[in-house]
Amino acid sequence: MSRGPVVLPNAKVKVGTQKKSRLSMRHVAPWFFLIPSLLILGTFLIIPILEAFQWSLLDYKIIAGTGEFVGLSNFKEIFTDANFWMALLNTFIFLIIVLPLNVFLPMILAVLVNQKIRGVSTFRILYYLPVVTPMVVAALMWKMLYSQSGIISGILVKLGLFDSPTNLLIQSSTALFAVSMITVWKGLGYYMIIYLAGLQSIPKDVYESASIDGASVFQQFRNITIPMLAPSVTLVSVMTIIAGMKVFEEIALTTGGGPSGATTTLVMYIYKKFMNLDVSIASAAGIVLLVLAIGASLLQMKLTSSREDDLRA
Amino acid sequence: MKSKRFNQRMWLYTLMIFITILTVGPFLITLFMSLKAANEGIYSSILPASPTLENFVTAFDKANFGRYFLNTLVVTVIAIPLNLLFCSLAAYPLARMDFRGRSVVLAIIISTMMVPFQLYMAPLFQLAGSLGLQNTHIGLVVMQVSTAFGIFLMRQAFLRIPKELEESAYLDGANKFKVWYLVALPLVKPTLVTLAIFTFMGTWGDYLWPLLNSTESSMYTLSIGLAQLSQNFDGSNLKLISAASILTTIPTLLIFIWLQKYFISGATDGAVKG
Repeated sequence: MSRGPVVLPNAKVKVGTQKKSRLSMRHVAPWFFLIPSLLILGTFLIIPILEAFQWSLLDYKIIAGTGEFVGLSNFKEIFTDANFWMALLNTFIFLIIVLPLNVFLPMILAVLVNQKIRGVSTFRILYYLPVVTPMVVAALMWKMLYSQSGIISGILVKLGLFDSPTNLLIQSSTALFAVSMITVWKGLGYYMIIYLAGLQSIPKDVYESASIDGASVFQQFRNITIPMLAPSVTLVSVMTIIAGMKVFEEIALTTGGGPSGATTTLVMYIYKKFMNLDVSIASAAGIVLLVLAIGASLLQMKLTSSREDDLRA
Repeated sequence: MKSKRFNQRMWLYTLMIFITILTVGPFLITLFMSLKAANEGIYSSILPASPTLENFVTAFDKANFGRYFLNTLVVTVIAIPLNLLFCSLAAYPLARMDFRGRSVVLAIIISTMMVPFQLYMAPLFQLAGSLGLQNTHIGLVVMQVSTAFGIFLMRQAFLRIPKELEESAYLDGANKFKVWYLVALPLVKPTLVTLAIFTFMGTWGDYLWPLLNSTESSMYTLSIGLAQLSQNFDGSNLKLISAASILTTIPTLLIFIWLQKYFISGATDGAVKG
């Protein structure tokens, strides 16, 4: 920590008043650095967040700009709304689909691009491309791929999975799965890099001694790589859960939450309520989302700290 | 022995090329779609029979994507320097100075990072309206000019600076602002680049806030223009949507190719480790 202007201990008596003014400067100066950000964050982030909490307890009319206090009745309303529970369930199913794929596929990619072979850095870049694609573009590209005459439907028919060309996005049974593949595709490269950082912290001699002992590549992957990557697995899992709870563009731009609510996640539920100008209901549902997100973050902190303890022990 | 190794590599390359098809394929299909001529069937073949740039011309001329491009560029060019400046200013005392209220300010800023945008979008929407920020560039950019994440990221970087460097500057008579500017900032350049990239990505592709704040099409960003264009998602429009998608993606690809290594280190910096 910086201590600001150095005041020697024996100067205390001689320059008592001067020290006092320096001390107050010491307490004022930090705020000059903080003012621009505090003004911006205070106005456009913190006040709106506090208002959202307030609105959740009102029957707020956004056009009139007023609302009466109604206590917890907005919460009562969402908790008795079948659509809300379906949205919660859809969010959960979405996470169940995305989580294992996000944890496992990028790990394989990371192991591949960690090989010392020619051209490997090019592959690293090619795998990262979806990450730098704007989400709107990614969603529309996949909507095109999924369309009835599109390539995916063609492949599914060739594989014999469907009799006739089918758009997976417009079937209730497949829409959520189809949408989740866009999220997985977009995240592959990002999580790959996180695993790559984890891989590079594994000491080389562990592999060397294993291969001297005759362990196959697969055995090395199973018995060395996966256990040593445990901290990265935790990190990727929690990041996936937190990001997955907030998934929006992929859904809004491909299915809009349909067909008949099959892809309406909690965020889509909030968005629909907002578009209906039911902002108090939207705020109450937003608070539920916040509580879930905080829960996931606390889980992250707990898991990462206990993992670190494991590693230290 | 040698042939076994060769075989292993063949498998490795085959697998890696297969994954490349999955990650890059959608771009190529979109690119080919955007190059198809008006009279060509959209799904007749993947490759365009006689490649043409007419869809790009239409996107610029008729679909107003020149304007959307400009709006997106303006917003991004405002957001990046301001976010770097304000975040590195705010992060500095939070990392390097001891003052009353520091831990409270830090806790508030970090805890806002957990709050999903969908919770406060409605109050923000109303606020922007009452401040006259709807359909303005300032309204579009206001969420990006100082971010809690940016402050967090910069603080982590400032924490790593050895205190001896600052102390010798103070002994030479420099004030806090000078130490921040002349000593601390140059030492966190890589993190500044990382934050610039995060700000670029966040601003360039942002969707929900521009969607809420822009009702006039002259204020659309590329994402919003593209989303509006895609409301008519059928054969008549797919080539144009593809061209606009490619147009939207090209700047991000160029920046990525230019600053690759920072993207890679940024991904791990951004992975907030509890």
